[in-house]
Amino acid sequence: MSASLALATFNFRPALPFAPPPSSASAPRSGRRTMAGGVRSEMKLYKGTHMREQRLAEMIEKKVAEATQVCGEDETSDECKVAWDEVEEVSQAKADLRLKIHQLQQDPLEHFCQENPETDECRIYED
Amino acid sequence: MAVSTVYTVQSLNSTCSISTPSKPFSQKHILFFTTTKRALTRSCRQISCSAEDKTVVIGLAADSGCGKSTFMRRLTSVFGGAAEPPRGGNPDSNTLISDTTTVICLDDYHSLDRTGRKEKGVTALDPKANDFDLMYEQVKALKDGAAVDKPIYNHVSGLLDPPELIKPPKILVIEGLHPMYDERVRHLLDFSIYLDISNEVKFAWKIQRDMAERGHSLESIKASIEARKPDFDAYIDPQKQYADAVIEVLPTQLIPDDNEGKVLRVRLIMKEGVKFFNPVYLFDEGSTIEWIPCGRKLTCSYPGIKFSYGPDTYYGHEVSVLEMDGQFDRLDELIYVESHLSNLSTKFYGEVTQQMLKHSDFPGSNNGTGLFQTIVGLKIRDLFEQIVVSRTAAALEAAKA
Repeated sequence: MSASLALATFNFRPALPFAPPPSSASAPRSGRRTMAGGVRSEMKLYKGTHMREQRLAEMIEKKVAEATQVCGEDETSDECKVAWDEVEEVSQAKADLRLKIHQLQQDPLEHFCQENPETDECRIYED
Repeated sequence: MAVSTVYTVQSLNSTCSISTPSKPFSQKHILFFTTTKRALTRSCRQISCSAEDKTVVIGLAADSGCGKSTFMRRLTSVFGGAAEPPRGGNPDSNTLISDTTTVICLDDYHSLDRTGRKEKGVTALDPKANDFDLMYEQVKALKDGAAVDKPIYNHVSGLLDPPELIKPPKILVIEGLHPMYDERVRHLLDFSIYLDISNEVKFAWKIQRDMAERGHSLESIKASIEARKPDFDAYIDPQKQYADAVIEVLPTQLIPDDNEGKVLRVRLIMKEGVKFFNPVYLFDEGSTIEWIPCGRKLTCSYPGIKFSYGPDTYYGHEVSVLEMDGQFDRLDELIYVESHLSNLSTKFYGEVTQQMLKHSDFPGSNNGTGLFQTIVGLKIRDLFEQIVVSRTAAALEAAKA
């Protein structure tokens, strides 16, 4: 096994045009996981997952502002530490979601959407 | 083997007479019947079932949520199979399931949701925000082979969602902030690990994690760590004294004044005298070694690799400490290092390297974090196999006695 295999990077672009009809559950929505290392293919998300990402991003911004304000009043208060704990919680949640999507290529709504392709959440998010 | 009073040869061979004994049922009747081949199969099936029914429970303490994904995925990969969220359930479930292993996030045992914690003025780190009675009850039930309806804490909404059914797996991993906090839960653990990240490294990692997010800045990241520190030091940190293995992550000593946190010094602190756990060692067990593998046989690039190993005490316990400072940047460095370590519990030469390569895109794959997480995974597999063997043997002994 060559040493370079472990550390090679390469780009993978799926050849198929995107957005298969909901009925063909077998058609892959995204490039499957590539070999070790490497830039992942652009993975199309379900709308619901994209919305979760957006929501978490907004919450981070909002909660950082809240914490800055609350701690400005009293740095040693319980309110202050709870506020920063909330920031930590949503920051980690966003990072976990990002990891799932981009590194593991798993959309959390994958199974739900295979069962319920007609729901709004399960529309493919197009940029 | 004592001969008990069974009356006819026929009853020895017939299996139906066990079910309705005219005399008061006693252990010795079973004993006698186990000598026949048919009955032996049936009672052996029962014995092996009960050994397999008991789940092996591993605790992992770590800050920042569940989805210590990297560690968990390395661990489940050692056992074989990929860990995935439960199919068809709540998409915000924190649980991971593979063929052999189920990983439960202890945040699911929050007794207070985000609003509740805000009202009471407690962080998630505070024991008051967690239901340890439920945690104990359910971990015990799973360990004894019963399925449970476990709550789900939704990190997106901050609410407690309806429960999901968890079936007892072969290996149950409970990960989160407080796996070793409650004494009853602690005693259910067959093995426990504490991931101890130093402040400098924590800061560097959180910068990497958060800087791209709108709203975050160096100040906010720093403030968040500082604000959580008192609760962390009071409730989470003390658990490390109970851990069978501690993975300590520190800044490197190979680069003066390095503050990027990219090159790491990682220490694997292994408790001595833990049942079914034989610490990894370098060259000569129990001695003190410093080893720089780079030299004539192995060329490393800057800053190189440095190992040390030796006995020590940790919170009053005898431990062995294996330490790696630096990075791998070639496959042959990894194999060279693996070939010099002992008691790795690998099933074949090169298994550690193979596991590292399998997940070479994961963070820590080129340094001690990935290496020691992989090794701990192999140790847990070894522990699991030994426990199963010992339980089966014990059950057979009990049947003979």
